[in-house]
Amino acid sequence: MADRTDAYAAALFAVAVAEDALDRVEEELFRVARTIEGNDELRSTLTDEVVPVDRRQGIVEDLLGDRAHHVTTALVSFIVGVGRSRQLPAIIDKLVERAAEERSEVVAEVRTAIPLDNDLRERLGQALSTATGKQVSVKAVVDESVLGGVVAQVGDTIIDGTVRHRLNQLRAAL
Amino acid sequence: MTGAGTLLAVAKNPILPEMKEVLWFLLAFFILLVVMWKKAVPGVRKAMNERAEKIRDNLEEAEQVRNEAQEVLKQYKRQLADARDESNRIIEEARETAENLRRDMLQRAETQVAELRERSREEIKAAQERATSELQSRVGTMAIELAEKVVEQSLNRDANLRLIERYIEQVGSRS
Repeated sequence: MADRTDAYAAALFAVAVAEDALDRVEEELFRVARTIEGNDELRSTLTDEVVPVDRRQGIVEDLLGDRAHHVTTALVSFIVGVGRSRQLPAIIDKLVERAAEERSEVVAEVRTAIPLDNDLRERLGQALSTATGKQVSVKAVVDESVLGGVVAQVGDTIIDGTVRHRLNQLRAAL
Repeated sequence: MTGAGTLLAVAKNPILPEMKEVLWFLLAFFILLVVMWKKAVPGVRKAMNERAEKIRDNLEEAEQVRNEAQEVLKQYKRQLADARDESNRIIEEARETAENLRRDMLQRAETQVAELRERSREEIKAAQERATSELQSRVGTMAIELAEKVVEQSLNRDANLRLIERYIEQVGSRS
């Protein structure tokens, strides 16, 4: 299964590079993956074998439409069309890792309760690079469940400075 | 003279035997006596001796039987005494066994009561600890939930940005 995920990720990566839209496509696919992970209804619809494939692809095109690069829409639609919707987040994560490796970077998935502007993302990336000793590519996710602060995952390392984490620690202590 | 006169007077009595008859009678009596003395007396004496011997044998036999009977009686009494001693010993052993059993049962019962009491005490203590822990947990949960609500309401964009800035500062200072 890992080999197949790698193969699909490599294929998507090659298409994005060929279309000269890797940065944007990578960013958009990352958001698509996090959206699917955070939305049970969307995930179950896209993975429901009973719903016809073209109907599921239609849902993808309706959701992304003009808001995403046409390559992003096409790639997601392709994955849904070949019946790999369930592996879509894993394939996208592989693609993001591969893109980061191409830039000699590692991916840092950063979750915050509010959207980050470019300045914050840049400084966050520098701080994480300093902390991990690797060049970091920040992938930001807005997750209100963290309440406040930041949690960053770089590979297997998690640096959690969220209010949710503090509250959980407090709950465990009590 | 007086005696002769009486004898004559008697002879003349028709009831009395004649002198001659008396003499014959006396003669026959002595002859019979001698014959009896010579012939019958030894047999009778022998029979009496045999009888006496037999009686003596019987007496000795009776004595022997009596001695044997006494010996048997002694033996029986001795056995009876032994049996009585044995029964007394068995009774004493049974009494001691019963006493030991009673003591053991009492001790076991006391141990069980002590264990039960200790277990009850531990269960009560555990229940108290559980209740306290549950109460603490509930109070903690309520406090956390309250804190979450307070934080959600008070964490506006500026506060969130300050938290992110502090995170960047802290993470950046690691190496």
